Order: sequence, then C-alpha cells, then structure tokens
Amino acid sequence: MAARDIALQVCQVLAVLVAAPLLQGLILQFEERVQRARGPGIFQPYRDLWKLFHKQIVQPETASWVYRAAPLVAFTCMLTVPILIPVLTDYPLPLSDMGDILGGGLILALGSFSVLLAGLDSGSAWGGIGSSRAVMLGILAEPTLILVFVGITLLAKAMLPFVVNHLLVASPAVYWSPAHLFLVFAFFILLLVETDRLPIHSSTHLEIYMIDEARILEYSGPLLALLKWASMMKQFILYTIFCNVLTLPWGLSQHGSALGVLGAAAALMLKFTLVACAVVVVETMQSRLRFYRYQEPLAASFLLAVLAIVANQLR
Amino acid sequence: MLHAALSPLAESIFSLLCIGSLLLSFVMLGSRWLTNYVLAFAAQSWLIAMLSAAVAWVGGYPELYAIAVLTAIVRGLLLPYLLLRIMRELAVARELHVVVQPSSSLVLGALLVLFAFAVAAHAGHALGLDGSVAVLALTVMLAMKLIGFLMLAVRREAMTQILGLLELENGIFLGSQILVPAMPMLIELVVLFDLLVVVASLGVLVRLLVVHVGSTSSHELRRLVG
Repeated sequence: MAARDIALQVCQVLAVLVAAPLLQGLILQFEERVQRARGPGIFQPYRDLWKLFHKQIVQPETASWVYRAAPLVAFTCMLTVPILIPVLTDYPLPLSDMGDILGGGLILALGSFSVLLAGLDSGSAWGGIGSSRAVMLGILAEPTLILVFVGITLLAKAMLPFVVNHLLVASPAVYWSPAHLFLVFAFFILLLVETDRLPIHSSTHLEIYMIDEARILEYSGPLLALLKWASMMKQFILYTIFCNVLTLPWGLSQHGSALGVLGAAAALMLKFTLVACAVVVVETMQSRLRFYRYQEPLAASFLLAVLAIVANQLR
Repeated sequence: MLHAALSPLAESIFSLLCIGSLLLSFVMLGSRWLTNYVLAFAAQSWLIAMLSAAVAWVGGYPELYAIAVLTAIVRGLLLPYLLLRIMRELAVARELHVVVQPSSSLVLGALLVLFAFAVAAHAGHALGLDGSVAVLALTVMLAMKLIGFLMLAVRREAMTQILGLLELENGIFLGSQILVPAMPMLIELVVLFDLLVVVASLGVLVRLLVVHVGSTSSHELRRLVG
C-alpha cells in the first residue's frame, strides 16, 4: 500500500514535470488559432527546451554564485509544490502533510524570489527593471492572495487543499454559494497575473514591456531552459490549484488504482483545456494596461476576495 | 420582517440577488465611463425588482409584485433613459476629474463593506438574527449607502453625483424589501416619484451649470455668487 502511494506521489511530480510544457504549448497554439494565425504547434515548448539544453552556457562576467544557483532553486521549488497539492489523487499521499496552502504559497514565492535575485545579480539594466516591476506586482498581488487563502480557510474550516476539494465535491450548496464563486473569480485574476498573461504582462517580446522575461534576459543554454521550464511548471501548478482545489474539484482518482490515475490525468488535461480557453478569451479581448493601471485588476480581485469573506460569514 | 425559518433555496436566492446588486455598485465605483454607471444602475434596479418579486413569492405579499413591476419600469428603464438622454445632450462620456483613482476607490469600498458588515453583525447579534439573510440584507444596505456617499464624495462629475444619490436610495430600498417587506405601497410610489423629481431637477441644475460655468464638474462650484 505504502509503496503504491509513494509511486503515485512520484507520478504526481512527474506529471507536472512532463505536462507543463504541453499546457504552455496548448495555450499559445489556441491563442494563435483564435487570432487566425497558424501557430507553432502544441509541442513547440518541448522543442525549445530540447534546443536550449544542447547549447553551451554563456554567463556575464559580473555574475556571482546567485546567478548559477537561482535556476536550480526555482526548479527545485516547482518540483516540491506538486507533492503538497492534489494533482492526480484526491487523498493525501506520503509527505503531503509537509505543508498546507500557505506552505505551498511560501515555496512558490521562494522560487520567484530566487529568480528576482538573479535578475539583480548580474547588474544589467533590464534585469533590474524586470525585478523591480515583478516586486511591484508582488506587492499588489500578495495581499489578495492571502485574502483568497483566508476565504478558502473560512469556507472549508481548514487550510488543507484536500479538505477543500472534498467539501466542494460533497456539497453543491457550498459550491454555488456566492462566497465560493467570488473566490473563484478573485483567484482567476491572480492566475492571469501570476502566469504572465494579459492584461498586465505583454504578449509581445519587447524589452520595454517585459516583466518576468526581463529578469532572465542574461541567461542562456541549459540554465535558461531550467528557468523556462520552472515558469511553465509554476503555471501548471497554479492551474492545478485553480482546477482541482477551487473550480473543478471533480475527476480525481479516489482509490489510486492505475486506471483511476490515468483517468485523473485525462480529466486534468480536459479541465486545463477549459481554463486555457477562458484565458485565451481574456488574452484576445484585453489589451495591455499601462504601468500605472496595474493595480486595477488586482484591486478588483482584492474586492472580490473581501466580498467572498463577507458573504461567507452570512452563509 | 421575514420570519427566520426560510427554506435554503429562498435564502440562497435572496443572498445571491443582494450580493449581485452590491457587486454592481462596485462596477459603478470602479469604472471611469458614465455609460457604465448608468447601465450598472439599470441592472442593479432589475436585480432589486427580482428580489421584490422573490420576496413576494416566498413571503406571500401580493402587493410586492406590483412594486417589483414598478421598480423595473421606473428604476430599470425610465431613470436610465432620462440619464442617458441628459448625457447625450451634454456630451460627457467619462469622469475627467478623478479625485481618487478607481482602483483605490474599489479598495476603499471593500473596507466600507467590511465596516458595514461589522455594524450589521452587531445589530443582528443584538436582535438574535445571527447568520440569517436579514443580516446580509442589512450589510448590503449599509454598504450600498456608504458606497453611494463615497461616490458623492470622490467624484466631481454632476452625472455621477446624481447616480450616487440614486445608488444610495437603491440600497435603502433593497434593505427595506427584506427587512420590512410589508411596507405600504403608497410609500414606495411616493419614493419613485421623488426619484423622478430628483433626476429632473438635477438635470435642470446640470444644464444651468453648463450655461453658467461651462463645465459639468461640480468642482467649479466653490464660490458663492450673490
């Protein structure tokens, strides 16, 4: 029994590791198709990673050990978080009790923090600008994220993602309550902000608009591949939390049988396709906000989280 | 007041409609375009009309159906039409004199909701109504009133000030639907006509403002003229 659970836990991490570029490719391809271009195909991120891993590392003379360590730290963080959340099974697997929702958030933030330091480390202008913008966004997004967590905690009376999942599956009354729906919308806005999407992050690759990409402009070769892969995994993890914990809690393996896990993986891809479609709609309809209007979507998200907490008190 | 033992379905319908109207008042607060304000106000009025009908259905107050129809027609169609007409004449499309940025006013509004909730929770606790839909109605009522005041305070455009007043009144009306559903129909008629008078007289005032000051911003009205 225990051996199977350990195997499942390894499968969870592997699923995130392997499927993250696919999700990125899916979103980019859908977007291209919606905008009537042909698109590079959904497997392009794999080809990009493959290419980058076969290049040599060129690093700036000013770079210190922080520059070399940051990609590894970011990548390791993203490998750790899937252990804590329900990716394939709806019950805790070994080591899932290492941290609750806040713990997962802490590890995600640690990954971003290391990339932030790397952006500042080499002393290039774009890296500094990227880091400063990313911190600005963090300052705006973090209070909302904490409020969403508080809202989830009040809803389920627990900070464990598995408990929230079970509650939402078991009681449709909670699922359709305004408190929960507001949390979904608040988290959706956060999802757009945290996964480098419009209306804040630019979809064109110009240095002047870059936020997250500006931080890693100095990287090349395998280190760049690790960073890109880590950011795709972060996106996958956030989608997993959004779907499996908050929005679409169904379709997870309940007993951990091989068939159930395969079904859960298929259901996961289906759910992600749905969310990706919503994201593509937003990306196609929205134009990028100017810098001094970044706080507007985040203020709306903050407001929704506050309303969710109020509505939850009166449920 | 509606008796405490409501069915879960009725409670969830009431709370959904209340929260929906609160959300629409935030649409007014967070937008810069005057058309959005008016459309949000109209949608809010429709939600409140639906709430009246729902209260009539659940509580068995037949006269509330008439009030629901009147609300939908007067608040949901007539007032927005008049407002849009004034806006078309004056050619004002957006709030030009922003005192507090929309995002900051959203956050301020969220804090006001929390304050309203604290007050309503205390009142509900004193009356022994903990966690019932009455507390929610009280919260939404107070919050919408405070948001109306906030709009009056932080917006300079004359149109927004009219809408702030209307928003304030919508809040009181929403609360009264749930807290005192047996309110005489006469009062509601009087209130509706008052609203028409408010919009008409403020429309006249705005036109005067344009003629004399050359702008629709109440910011210019700081000097007493004998």
